Amino acid sequence: MTNGFTYADRLDALLTAKRAQTEKKFLKFGRTLDLDDRGNLVAPDDFVFTPIPNHKSNGFFGPYACGLNYKKLLHEHPVTVDENACLLGSWMVMLIDYKKPLWNPDISYAHLHKEQKMYDIVHGIGGVQHFLADYSLGLQLGFNGIRDKIAFYEKDCDVSKKEFYQGLAACVEGIYDYITRHIAKARELAEQVADTVKADNLRMLADMSEELLKRPAKTFHEAVQWMAWFLVVGDMYNGCASAVGDIDRILKPYYDNDIKQGILTEEQAIFYICNLLIIDNAYCQIGGCDEFGNDNTNELSHIVLEAVHRMKIPASVCVRVHENIDKNFYYKAVKYLLTDRTGSPNFIGDKAMTEGFMKNGYSRKLAVSRVKCGCHWCAIPGKEYTLNDIVKINFVAVFDTAFKEMMNSGQEPSVELLWDTFIKHINKAVAVTAEGMDFQIEHMHEVFPELLMDLLCEGPIEKGLDASNGGLEYINLCVDGAGLAVVADSFAALEKRIEKNKQITWDQIDKALKNDYKGYEDIQLMMKNSDHYGNGGTIADTYAENIVKEFVAAVKKEPTPKGYNMIPGLFSWANTIPMGKAVGATPNGRLAYTPISHGANPLPGFKDSGALTACANAVASVQCGYGNTVPIQLEINPVTLKGEEGIRTMMTFISVYLNKMGGTLMNINIMDKEKILDAHKDPSKYPDLIVRVTGFCAYFALLSEDFRKLVVDRMINE
Amino acid sequence: MNKTYGCIFDIQRFSLHDGPGIRTTVFFKGCNLRCFWCHNPESINLQPEIQIYSHKCVMCGRCITACPQNAIHKNSKSFVFSRDLCIKCGKCVDACYSNARVMAGKTVSALDVMSQIIKDEPFYHDNQGGVTFSGGEPMLQSGFLKTLLIACKEKEIHTAVDTAGNVSFEKFNEIAPYTDLFLYDIKCIDENKHKQVTGSNNKKILSNLLQLDNIAKEIIIRVPVIPGMNDTEEDMHMIGDYLKSFKRITKVQLLPFHNMAESKYESMGMEYKAKGLSAPKKERMQELASVISSYGLNAIAVS
Repeated sequence: MTNGFTYADRLDALLTAKRAQTEKKFLKFGRTLDLDDRGNLVAPDDFVFTPIPNHKSNGFFGPYACGLNYKKLLHEHPVTVDENACLLGSWMVMLIDYKKPLWNPDISYAHLHKEQKMYDIVHGIGGVQHFLADYSLGLQLGFNGIRDKIAFYEKDCDVSKKEFYQGLAACVEGIYDYITRHIAKARELAEQVADTVKADNLRMLADMSEELLKRPAKTFHEAVQWMAWFLVVGDMYNGCASAVGDIDRILKPYYDNDIKQGILTEEQAIFYICNLLIIDNAYCQIGGCDEFGNDNTNELSHIVLEAVHRMKIPASVCVRVHENIDKNFYYKAVKYLLTDRTGSPNFIGDKAMTEGFMKNGYSRKLAVSRVKCGCHWCAIPGKEYTLNDIVKINFVAVFDTAFKEMMNSGQEPSVELLWDTFIKHINKAVAVTAEGMDFQIEHMHEVFPELLMDLLCEGPIEKGLDASNGGLEYINLCVDGAGLAVVADSFAALEKRIEKNKQITWDQIDKALKNDYKGYEDIQLMMKNSDHYGNGGTIADTYAENIVKEFVAAVKKEPTPKGYNMIPGLFSWANTIPMGKAVGATPNGRLAYTPISHGANPLPGFKDSGALTACANAVASVQCGYGNTVPIQLEINPVTLKGEEGIRTMMTFISVYLNKMGGTLMNINIMDKEKILDAHKDPSKYPDLIVRVTGFCAYFALLSEDFRKLVVDRMINE
Repeated sequence: MNKTYGCIFDIQRFSLHDGPGIRTTVFFKGCNLRCFWCHNPESINLQPEIQIYSHKCVMCGRCITACPQNAIHKNSKSFVFSRDLCIKCGKCVDACYSNARVMAGKTVSALDVMSQIIKDEPFYHDNQGGVTFSGGEPMLQSGFLKTLLIACKEKEIHTAVDTAGNVSFEKFNEIAPYTDLFLYDIKCIDENKHKQVTGSNNKKILSNLLQLDNIAKEIIIRVPVIPGMNDTEEDMHMIGDYLKSFKRITKVQLLPFHNMAESKYESMGMEYKAKGLSAPKKERMQELASVISSYGLNAIAVS
């Protein structure tokens, strides 16, 4: 190491380059981002990619067309190398963005449209990835091993499977091409840089990637480089490599070996992980335990946490909490959450996740291996197809359908009748959702198979079956409900104001809703100031619990018509805005087309004081219980939790919620109210301000105004 | 427990400032001091009373119709409320859906309070979290307080009582066995000044503290720092000197005056006597705390 080329200096330089990219994104796209910051670079303005269609719609469908177009994209895609990096790998665009139309119009699901629209269902047909690749398997095989494995199974395959293998092989050819071009670029740059240390570093990186095309990784540095490559090329297909899973377990053998041999230091390891997460902001789990409750925390758990802490960029690292978690590690995780104020890490509860998943009929051993790897979800690496965080039922739309049906039925309206009608429609919504997911499993592979995920899974290559088409051992389909608080509060307001206090009539509320409360402002106020879910013990809380019970019963009463297991959860992700836009005014005083409530959270401002424990109790009481999450989103003003005492309080709060109350996932923003209000007025003043939007964190300044407002509204009501 | 009643005005969950850990604080209504700066004016009277937040009022007039006493009238711009006519029946509050009229204080059974307390029970057991009974002066409802303390101890919940100490020592004898921590307020040591600023001298308060030191498990002294009243070094020397030889005092907390209560005074139709006073600065609070620390006490300026 020479002056100016220490790990600290290099990390600074990489972060400066990342900031410049963020600035570029802002200049190119404005404040329009409603997604995670993924680590991709901005493509040059003159970069154009034209896919080769194989269909009259001008789209490309099926394994071979997708494989070929992927290979074409990787061949044409610009490559960049950073002289300060310790890993090669960069990416800008994804093939899926050029897949227009995404779905093959010949494969129609028009028979499902009416009900999907009526219940505002995000149906998941055409949904990609959102399950987990097995990086241990990938590291073990290496790219050459994967290539050989495809060739081996293709050799004697059934002719019907030929196209699938050709698609896979085209992808691997694309990957070889893309990595080889990076290697050449690195060598070219090595010739240009004046500094010999930097030049040597670039040559070393080029040599290492060249080796990784021939054999699996041996050292820690190589393993991290291999992961970086797969993250990059996976994301360039359909964003599928946004997750790594339990990174501390995956990399542990490499780390131990290198430490033993004296060829790795902790500082080096931290720098490699930093660089990995800069290249791709991948979802990782750290901590957790084995099937016997023994803590899994190791040196790498600390190293990943430290890397995130040092960088303070949007990160997606989640700590899996359990009774026996390493106290120092847990302390550090909570401390960084409170002091870094980047919304990271978030915390998942092993107990509810493991015990819940076992209720689907799985062993504890399998359940603990199902790791956190997305906004709100877990998956078994390389073995499980899930459609996680894609399929959503808008409870508010279901409620709206039920309300209108009741008012037009000619029957005497009542809360009881409304409830029965609502439950009937919840069941219908779940049924049409199930049909949609069956349709996806039947046809997705003909449209856009999971070719990159297939490379790192057990089954697809062996069986010649795409992961979305039954190639994996387990299928557990995620069905989330959204907008719980709006519906619970609506029921409670109707019961209180119409039936209990007799302050208004059904006819009045019907007119008020139809007029979006215009001219009925006093009724709106009355409905708004009724009971709120979250306070505990109110009728609104009872409604929330009962809605969830009925939803869970509807999802769990039977598998999909084709026999696939479904798992219920509650999560709106960032869909609160579009889902709100789909529904008119509601009896809780909500105006038409405004956002619905976030996940399972009570509505902001549901309680004047002491909201944190109240909120925790409320969300704990509406857990679905089958191993998918019902996250709690919390906004905490840093003045509430100061110093050592604040850390201890938060440690108690998190561990009680996750270990004792049945909580699944906690997403926490530590945010100064004044700062966020000021940043909302002028986002450019705070280019580094990071907020946790939902299951992901993002630069506040890049968010669209709607999203910023959503975050701000939650904060000011904290 | 369902036959013991008391009057409270709030139950605050996730309370972090009234004792250690995560707590629920139950605020009792009624106080026998009249501190001019009181931060909780709604705690002073023993009976429930009406608070009015006129900025929330939508002038619907439902309160006028609901009031059996004709205590509310409409004038050109607002509603006028004759508090002397009010019998605190709460009918106007029930009728008000904009939450402009709120009942400060309600009579509840010990069982009602316990059902609120146990909601957060899982959070109490780390870091000595638990329940704090505050006010007002909780010792003025000592029977109710004792019932609640016993109920908490049966559930092994840590208990704290926040008191100004201006009651007979008998009351302390009754509750001390069930109280893990006393948060004991000391305003000033000078007897005349104490009478002047609280309406009552501090003889009983100081002698109670002396005796309490023999039977309490733990005492934390809390000193509200009020500009012009007790914010000099001399005041702190007097307090430090007085407290230096107590055995059970683990901490002395200095709490800064704040004027956030002003709107509450307005809502209750009460005069705000601390108007114009400003909150002491953080650095000043630390300076004052260091005076008390110089007596070998663990003094902390709370911000």
